[in-house]
Amino acid sequence: MNLLANFLYSGLNLTGIPRFPFMLPLCLSIAIVYKTARCNKLKDIPIATLILWITIVVGMVLVGVGLWILFTIMA
Amino acid sequence: MSRPDAHSPIHIPLTGLLAWIVPGLGHLFIGERTRGLIFMVTISATFWAGIAIGGAGSTIDPQHRKLWFTAQLLTGGQSLVAVALHQKAIAPYPPSSKPPVIGHWLSIDVGTHYTGVAGLLNLLVILDAIFSADTATRKRPEFATGHGSTVS
Repeated sequence: MNLLANFLYSGLNLTGIPRFPFMLPLCLSIAIVYKTARCNKLKDIPIATLILWITIVVGMVLVGVGLWILFTIMA
Repeated sequence: MSRPDAHSPIHIPLTGLLAWIVPGLGHLFIGERTRGLIFMVTISATFWAGIAIGGAGSTIDPQHRKLWFTAQLLTGGQSLVAVALHQKAIAPYPPSSKPPVIGHWLSIDVGTHYTGVAGLLNLLVILDAIFSADTATRKRPEFATGHGSTVS
């Protein structure tokens, strides 16, 4: 119990590149909640969620790469 | 607990309140069980993953991160538990103008985003529950009584 409490108090020690994969579950939860609220039929939720999740992740990666190229050129 | 009639004047505010207290509870109340459980699991997991990543010591900070805290508060009862954890985490530090930073700043940043987004997602869920509870604005015809099955 103390171990759990200490873990919840101080959190992880994230540095550098390993922090980027943490966007994947966050984007997934956004896609799940949005599509669960939007879809009238429950059976449509999984595929709609997957499509939205891929769209968000690919979109964010493209924006990130675009900004990285822009800053590299400007530097 | 006996459920009030769908046409009762307290039906819609009660649905909104329940949706705020526990994410997904509003949908469970109006009979959308599967949808309610999906919301409950997803939003709670996102919120507590954020606390685990950033730590309650700095991820929740009512004094110095007011806007993020407002978003975090939208997760209702869970945010109040997290505030209690935050108070316990900063208790050993002397009160000063500069907040104690407990954990790495990148972890705190990621954790704050997780918990803030969980709160904003619950705002969407609260609004969806309210509009689904109101017979005039209901968009899902299979819930015409407000207490129907979730299987479509």
